[in-house]
Amino acid sequence: MQRQEIIERVKKVVARVLKIDGEISDGANFIFDLGADSAQSVMLVAAFEEEFDIEMEEDKALQVQTVKDAVDFIAGYVKS
Amino acid sequence: MAQSSQVKSRNLDSLFYPQSVAVVGTNKVPGTVPHDILVNILKSDFQGIVYPVSPKEKSISGLKAYKYVSDIEDPIDLAIIVFPSSVVHMALEQCGRKGVKSVVIISAGFKEVGGEGILRENQIKEIAGRYGISLIGPNCLGVINTDPSSKLNASFARKMPEEGSIGFLSQSGALCTAVLDYARAKHIGFSKFISFGNKADVSEIDLLRYLRDDPKTRVILIYLEEISDGRGIMEAARDIIASTGKPVLAIKSGRTAEGASAAASHTGSLAGSDEVIDAAFRQAGIIRCRDIEVMFNKAIAFAYQPLPQGNRVAIVTNAGGPGVLTTDAAVKEGLRLASFSEATTDVLRKSLPKTANTKNPVDVIGDARADRYHIAVSETLKDPQVDGVFVILTPQSMTDIEAIAREVCSVAGQSSKPLYASFMGEADVAPGVDILQRNRVPHYILPESMPMAFSTAYRFKNRTLAGPAADGIPESPNAAKARAVLDTAIRSGRRVLLEDEAAPVLELYGLPVLKGGTAGSAEQAAELARRMGFPVVMKVLSEDIVHKFDVKGVVLNIATPDAAAEAYRSILAETARFRPDAKIKGVLVRKMIPAGEEVILGIKRDPSFGPVVMFGLGGIFVELFRDVQFRIAPVDMETADAMVRGIQASGILTGARGKTPRDTAAVCACLTALSRLAADCPQIAELDINPVIVMEAGQGCFVADAKIMM
Repeated sequence: MQRQEIIERVKKVVARVLKIDGEISDGANFIFDLGADSAQSVMLVAAFEEEFDIEMEEDKALQVQTVKDAVDFIAGYVKS
Repeated sequence: MAQSSQVKSRNLDSLFYPQSVAVVGTNKVPGTVPHDILVNILKSDFQGIVYPVSPKEKSISGLKAYKYVSDIEDPIDLAIIVFPSSVVHMALEQCGRKGVKSVVIISAGFKEVGGEGILRENQIKEIAGRYGISLIGPNCLGVINTDPSSKLNASFARKMPEEGSIGFLSQSGALCTAVLDYARAKHIGFSKFISFGNKADVSEIDLLRYLRDDPKTRVILIYLEEISDGRGIMEAARDIIASTGKPVLAIKSGRTAEGASAAASHTGSLAGSDEVIDAAFRQAGIIRCRDIEVMFNKAIAFAYQPLPQGNRVAIVTNAGGPGVLTTDAAVKEGLRLASFSEATTDVLRKSLPKTANTKNPVDVIGDARADRYHIAVSETLKDPQVDGVFVILTPQSMTDIEAIAREVCSVAGQSSKPLYASFMGEADVAPGVDILQRNRVPHYILPESMPMAFSTAYRFKNRTLAGPAADGIPESPNAAKARAVLDTAIRSGRRVLLEDEAAPVLELYGLPVLKGGTAGSAEQAAELARRMGFPVVMKVLSEDIVHKFDVKGVVLNIATPDAAAEAYRSILAETARFRPDAKIKGVLVRKMIPAGEEVILGIKRDPSFGPVVMFGLGGIFVELFRDVQFRIAPVDMETADAMVRGIQASGILTGARGKTPRDTAAVCACLTALSRLAADCPQIAELDINPVIVMEAGQGCFVADAKIMM
């Protein structure tokens, strides 16, 4: 899967879960920039898992704080 | 009284009197901290401007919300950060760039959780330092300022407290909410209320100094869980008390003796952290309270009423029993029941019923109404032989509780002497108690609490702060030599210096050490004894043996060379029997001095307060009686004298019951010298001089055994 495709799909998931209408930058932090609360942070991980049909380890998933983090993380899973 | 060092306080006005406040990371979800903090500020009738900062919301509670703090056009004095800990550093960095002066970080998840939390805390410390931000928290409840010119409740406490003159500092956030609820029920008002949490930047010492200079604060209360800079707290408290006369009351939780059990010395085992805190607080003039209720019982006496000028109290009651209970408590607290002047007695006799008791305690009889209370309270209060009045009421069917409460408030308001009240009971007296509390008459559920609060205020009035500040006593001219001896020992891997090696160090500080020698054989022991002159004392030298008598390692009153040789053999045999594992260095032979009283002197290094000196009745039962006094080192002669007189058994030394007074001045000189040694030589972890033999007055004292642990 191309990186650009991952980026687009991650942003779509983020926009849906966090109910964001506008532009989402690659470096956007889910909490600081997009206003995610703790429940939404958990929902995001679940939504990524579903979108990309992967299972993210809980400890590592919690360290994913930005769109870029998520893309890097998912790219690693998709490759392997 | 100690001179005030008057360290300038940090300017925290942007924290307590901000013109503008940003709540960073707030949201629209009621019942969550980020939301409720914003609403609490709005509800507190804050006099400045509030800016919600929320990444997602356009508006919150009718206010325009900003995505970032940097989006706010106006300058911001104070930011309250309520984001989760993982992004707090980002918010703080933005605050720094924006030029925000003060920040309160409410969020938890920092030092208190360990691991990554410690890294996060270091990161926010660095950011605050870089931008010169005054930072409160993290992991705290927030700050409250009731001053009408600010009216700021930047906390998640449910309600703004009443305005008052008590400044409250707390390391625990959750406790604050309970304290506020407790205080509100009793109409206890606060000037400032601060939960300082992990104190990453602004410390309790900074806040103490701020309250020192805060004209709205008359009484300072502090709740502490751990003390990182004990001497700093002592200095700040001394300074507050000396320069402003504001009392400082403290609760230090964790009153356990942890760390004291595994000590290698008598001093170490006796000086638990709690004993050291007691001593330090006493030295600094801090009033230590065992719980929240006692703290507020004392605080309201300070906050509402003048300080007593003397200890003569009058009791006015409508029931005999409570009057007696209060009398007993007053006497126990060192107060005196006032003897009324003839004029007072005359008025009381003429105005009260024949069955009333016009002597102290004045019993106005069960059917007393407000007029009788008025006469008894106002007459006793104005008697020049009375320094304060305790008013007791029991709710009898004839008692007009509210009218009496109003009368008591009116009389109290016109007097320059303290008046406390106890309306006993709960349900029936509640309306009267409410009147007293609203009118700032200290009220106590139990009448016995009145003498306790009064005597605290009286002692504070007559306070003398013990000794100079730590840097007030100069280093000994022999300090370098002593440190060199200790350093040499440490370099060669030594951790313990027994009497033979400890004595030269003590001698450098002028302690009266007796000459002795170490015998490695029975023959040497006999020869040393002959040279010393009989009688001699002999004792085992072993790092492994703390209680020498327990292992029969001491022989006294040896009168001949043969007896010395025999004593040597006996000591080795007995110690080998009791402690086969102990490594024996030899046997010390020393001239025996005539009998005297035995006392113990010691040093311990406390992690929070540094070197501590101990004094107590010595000998083999020191740990059994625990009759010891501690002070933070160094101490002057006056403090040393207070230590000597402070033990329960001080009469043994000062000449009680016909005993010959002992040379306490010589003991005090030893204590001051030892405390100087403790302050000069950080190499010493613990030190015991047990015993010091104290001769009759003018005859001095002698170090009979000593041990230094490094």
